[in-house]
Amino acid sequence: MTDLAGLSSVLGAWYDFRDLNNLQRLITEWIADWGPDWLASIITGVLGALGILGVIGPTLLILIWVERKVIARFQQRYGPNRVGPKGLLQPVADAVKLILKEQLAPRAADKLIFFLPPVLIFIPGVLIWGVLPFGPRMSVADLNVGVLFLLAVSGTAVLVIFMAGWSSNNKYALFGAMRAVAMSISYEVPMVLALLTLVVFSGTMSINGIVQWQQQEDVIFILLFPLSAIAFFFAASAELNRTPADISEAESEIVAGYHTEYSGMRFGLFYAVELGNTLVVSAFIATFFLGGWWLWGLDQWVPSWIILLAKTGAVYFLLIWTRGTLPRLRVDQLMGFCWKALVPATLLFVVVAFVERTLLISEGWDTTVALPIMAVFNIALSLGAVMLFARVARPAPLRRPARIRMAGSDIGGLRAAREVAARREAPQLQVGGD
Amino acid sequence: MSDFGFHLAFWSLAAMTIGGASMIMVSRNLIHAVIWLVLSMLGIAGLYLTLSAEFIAVVQVLIYVGAISVLMLFAIMLTPRAERDNSQNIKTSAPAGLVVIMVMIATMWVAIDTDWGAVREAALTEQARLIGESLIKHYILPFEIGAVLLTAALVGAIALARQDDEDAAVHAASLQAELKGDGSVDPVDVVDPPLPSDGEVGS
Amino acid sequence: MIIGLEHYLVLGALLFCIGFFIALSKKNAVGVLIGVELMLNAVNLTLVAFSRFGSAEVALSTQVFVVFIIAVAAAEVAVGLALALVVYRNRQTISVDRTTLLKG
Repeated sequence: MTDLAGLSSVLGAWYDFRDLNNLQRLITEWIADWGPDWLASIITGVLGALGILGVIGPTLLILIWVERKVIARFQQRYGPNRVGPKGLLQPVADAVKLILKEQLAPRAADKLIFFLPPVLIFIPGVLIWGVLPFGPRMSVADLNVGVLFLLAVSGTAVLVIFMAGWSSNNKYALFGAMRAVAMSISYEVPMVLALLTLVVFSGTMSINGIVQWQQQEDVIFILLFPLSAIAFFFAASAELNRTPADISEAESEIVAGYHTEYSGMRFGLFYAVELGNTLVVSAFIATFFLGGWWLWGLDQWVPSWIILLAKTGAVYFLLIWTRGTLPRLRVDQLMGFCWKALVPATLLFVVVAFVERTLLISEGWDTTVALPIMAVFNIALSLGAVMLFARVARPAPLRRPARIRMAGSDIGGLRAAREVAARREAPQLQVGGD
Repeated sequence: MSDFGFHLAFWSLAAMTIGGASMIMVSRNLIHAVIWLVLSMLGIAGLYLTLSAEFIAVVQVLIYVGAISVLMLFAIMLTPRAERDNSQNIKTSAPAGLVVIMVMIATMWVAIDTDWGAVREAALTEQARLIGESLIKHYILPFEIGAVLLTAALVGAIALARQDDEDAAVHAASLQAELKGDGSVDPVDVVDPPLPSDGEVGS
Repeated sequence: MIIGLEHYLVLGALLFCIGFFIALSKKNAVGVLIGVELMLNAVNLTLVAFSRFGSAEVALSTQVFVVFIIAVAAAEVAVGLALALVVYRNRQTISVDRTTLLKG
């Protein structure tokens, strides 16, 4: 274990951001001379928010460029290379275009509820960054219930998507919003169960606690729970509405889904938050399953936040890779995959985690011996479960495309029309009246 | 509990909660009412945080804002626009208002006048672990009954709300008949419904 | 003025009465359900206030009670909305004034 006390005694100065408490302590002391205490809390809060925005803002610009270039390479083309050297100014051009565009609102849209979603979608997007630990003491807020906070805040984005789709007064926007909401709430279940596995095994709900558990036991969770990690990865990419799960906002499917009617900077906010969410989800996958800011003692020479950034970049590249390679799934295939494959897989590993944790704690097995055995067992179990699923529960190959069951999907609606006409002739029910 | 920051937090959250609840009373559009309900619930989650009940606050946001509100909005979506009127019923509002005012006066009198003997001890620190332990150790029977209840609600809601394809088709056709106004149904419209015309603005 | 238990109790009572009024006076069945949810939230707020300001024995058990209330409220909303859907399908209305077939 690294000597944490030694770290902070080297530099306790305000610019030593390896411990974010330094700055807060300094501000509190400085204000204590001449002002009330609550001013210090407000100033540190505002500085924390500005810090987060200052980190996300430029990163998003770079990310847009990275994503477009990498996807282009996967598709064997160049990507943007006109604007600036190697296309590096392309994100700037995109941002300027979005700012200068006119922001239209449909005439029949619900004014207040149309205005709110671009503003409200920003709130979860920024709040999540608060619980991400960049180092042993480098998270903006190290909550006791960090994992639960993460899940709760991502759940509020669902409501905002629904508001965006409904207020547009546009049939396709509503379809896209319904698909996105149904997928989001469905894929929350495997996410919660995968994180529950980690929480049960490490005994703590604070995100920094999970990283420190991995540091203590010298193991990263992807070795212990591979199927949970893969399930979380896929569920997170479905929550982010990325291919292969972008049925709700792909241009060839449904115009632009729930943000069809938003133009100009309103769409820019949706786009920015989506990109920011992708980055923060990559950071969280790196934190939970790959060890976060810790890398077997490397964090004594290399700053911990650089390690985290490197791992985040690797996971982000993996997300871009799946986006550029896999075809898009239909919404019924996605829901079936979630409920019939991911939920049983993650549930199985919750049970396995409970059993193994009991063996470690109550029976008192020695972790240096027991953990590798459990890792090997879990990997074998994952492979076995996937192969069993492929053999037994594979969806039957369809000879024609599966009919999506919609109300009124009989041919021409003739039978239904005749039924309605018949009912009009001979009314059977009376509506209860006064 | 007496510094300015705490006062600011408490009064603004209380205003948000009561304001949201009052707007539910006043608003005549059902979807707006649900949005105000979400605002009230966020205010209540903030109030839980001022009471240092962080686990309950996060659970409140997760379940109420994340799941129950979405459930309500989905259910509202499955009923047509004519049934989304949230206005009061005049005949029952007046006596209801009277009863409610009496109840309010009574409860507030009791709340203010009783000597609760409140102590201001430190709040619980490891709430998630303690709640989990007591659920498994002391309250295991209600826990299991709660699990059965949730399963029953799940199965019951699905069983109630499902409909066969035929009934769904007839239902959709009758919806189309309503929209067209004169009761006639063009079969093409059942499969490919027309967009709402300009006269039918979003309620 | 130190914010104490009475503030939270008054707030809870006010919220409960607003929810009570909504549940009694709305025409729409979903509106009534919204009022019921508000009442349950007010009760939760009161319980958590007692958890914070009460004696040490009740601090934990009230929070467990709150967790149970949240779970039961979720179940009740689900079933209530399913019932509203079925009523709409059969009666073409979810106004509580017009679904009075048993009356008289």
